Amino acid sequence: MANGFEPKIVGFLCNWCSYTGADLAGTSRIKYATNLRVIRTMCSARIDPTFILKALLEGADGVLICGCHPGDCHYVEGNYKAMRRFPLLKRLLDAYGIENERVQLEWVSASEGRRFAEVVDRMTEQIKALGPCKVRTALDFDMAER
Amino acid sequence: MDNQKIGVYVCNCGTNIKKVVDCDEVAAKALEQDGVVCAKSYKYMCSNPGQEMIIKDIKEQGLDRVVVSACSPRMHEATFRGALAKAGLNPYFLEMANIREQCSWVHVDPRAATDKASDLTRGAVRRVVHHEALEKRFVDMCPATLVIGGGITGLTAALELAESGNQVYLVEQSDRLGGNLANVDLTAPYLDSARDLIRERILRATRNPNITVFMNAKVESLDGYVGNFRARIAADGETVPVEIGSVVVATGYKPFDASRVKAFGHGTNPNVITSFEFEAMLRKGRIVTGQGRPPRYVTVIHCVGSRSEEFHPYCSRVCCMTALKYGQEIKAALPDAFVYDLYIDMHAFGKGCEDFYKQASEIRTIFMMFQKNTAPQIVAAGPKDDCEMFLRVDDKLSGEEVDIPTDLIVLMVGMEAREDSGEVARLVNISRDKDGWFIESHPKLDPVATTTDGVYIAGCCQSPKDINESVAQARAATARIMAKIAKGRIEVDAVFAEVNQDDCSGCRVCNDLCPYGAIDFDPEAKRSNVISAMCKACGACVTACPSAAIKGRHFTDEQIFAQIEGVL
Repeated sequence: MANGFEPKIVGFLCNWCSYTGADLAGTSRIKYATNLRVIRTMCSARIDPTFILKALLEGADGVLICGCHPGDCHYVEGNYKAMRRFPLLKRLLDAYGIENERVQLEWVSASEGRRFAEVVDRMTEQIKALGPCKVRTALDFDMAER
Repeated sequence: MDNQKIGVYVCNCGTNIKKVVDCDEVAAKALEQDGVVCAKSYKYMCSNPGQEMIIKDIKEQGLDRVVVSACSPRMHEATFRGALAKAGLNPYFLEMANIREQCSWVHVDPRAATDKASDLTRGAVRRVVHHEALEKRFVDMCPATLVIGGGITGLTAALELAESGNQVYLVEQSDRLGGNLANVDLTAPYLDSARDLIRERILRATRNPNITVFMNAKVESLDGYVGNFRARIAADGETVPVEIGSVVVATGYKPFDASRVKAFGHGTNPNVITSFEFEAMLRKGRIVTGQGRPPRYVTVIHCVGSRSEEFHPYCSRVCCMTALKYGQEIKAALPDAFVYDLYIDMHAFGKGCEDFYKQASEIRTIFMMFQKNTAPQIVAAGPKDDCEMFLRVDDKLSGEEVDIPTDLIVLMVGMEAREDSGEVARLVNISRDKDGWFIESHPKLDPVATTTDGVYIAGCCQSPKDINESVAQARAATARIMAKIAKGRIEVDAVFAEVNQDDCSGCRVCNDLCPYGAIDFDPEAKRSNVISAMCKACGACVTACPSAAIKGRHFTDEQIFAQIEGVL
């Protein structure tokens, strides 16, 4: 399964730290995996759990959420809101048998271009090892049982 | 939404994008998308002909949505929004796909990069369908400015504003103005007196009725937004509230603590002093060893704490020229003394600096080059030696290990970010880089603005720089501020949250969530409302609203859902 499998990962990045950090990886010409598709939000607090579910349902094999480091949020404390929502979402994902590594939350500052590239590479490798996401199968099964 | 006419423009950015991404293919694929009526690949979309192409297509083909696949929106979103506006289209009908910083510059495989660029472009096309026309808002600009830091940079900014007739609140943490420059004797390369430079400015600032100086003071809080900030300044045991339109952060730097380099024994060996301690000697006009004698041999060591794997990787920029200055000041005071200058690389990049380097050679400063990440070692002198100690240097140019006689060692300490830089960054809501320096809006094109509108950075708090650069930045920041003051009213982004009154259940979940207190509850109607002027558009309330009654303009659920569908 993992042979030649190229996962699609959707990334939700806050504008001020992580998106800027991703841009810095670019201006520094740091190479990383091509699997990530980035969607920009102003703050990680705007990243609605439904965005993540929507991405998984649309066929994403993984979802990466990135925000400013705790204490460094452009909007004072938005990243804490993202941080608190995350475990709740994880519980829901667990119930559907979606592996832990498929949805990850990482803090990337505007100066961490290299770290951003490392996060993307590491996550891509993890998802490759997991194979395609089976959320649709899980949902179909769930519907059939009802 | 069915009859939209979308134009897609794929920028080649010279070869920056094109060398990895097949821009023609991205454009051809975009043309297959619903609603896309034209898709073009062009060498420089941001150029005048590039923008004219968009404007012409909007007018002639009746485009009502535009997607530009190019660099980061942080780079050119404003440019292309301007092009839309020029064509008579609402600027918010634009969406950009970042296929340079986040695609062609970070990938090498043309196939995978082209596919990714197509996916990102498709996401933008799907998103832009849901874009709505937004109107810019205008707010009044308060002409007063808060300047944090009373060094050469802060003083210059304060004077520039005040002498143009604007109120300035100058906050200095210590009990005197002048900052680090007040501890310096002469300046390189023209040997002007630092005291003269700074004293005249302090006098002018303290006598100017438009400048209120707060000494031993601290800015406790800063709220509001560009043109309309409120700060609380704590000084003399009381807190003073002030209203300002702009903030200049000029908090400077801290000299590197030389005792951290154990090999030099600063703090224990009385004949090892820092450049700042040497400046104090020069100002007193008395160069002496720890034993109180005039030294016969003085050794100046460059890059203490700078350009090192162990401490700071960056160059502190002013130390090389300051070290050359010492050669000249020592020779002037003690004509028989020998001056050794131990450097890694000589950085003489500024105006007049190469000439200054030449002068230092002509007065017979003895230069020796040592290896980066190694330090010259102190070796004890014997009773018959005419010096206090030796410095063992691995001289890179001769390839030999040389012991040089030394009575006094001057360590050229670099600059580092102040310990409270994190606190200041949080106070004014700006970011710091990995070394603790404040981050500018754009390193080349917008060097004194920050990601927070109305907050500017100048001088060494942004990174090490010399006096002329610091002064230039102070004046650049004030020019930006005065341009806003001259307009009187300023444009702020049209992106903010709004509550749909019909859907709001009055649960008040959003009220406490807003970090800016921008959500008001109407107890009679039992509904919440966003005060748009105070909203900074983070979207936290939008996501938290259990009734989905809050809309985050320009980042709506529909727009983001459509983009998710598009990129997958």
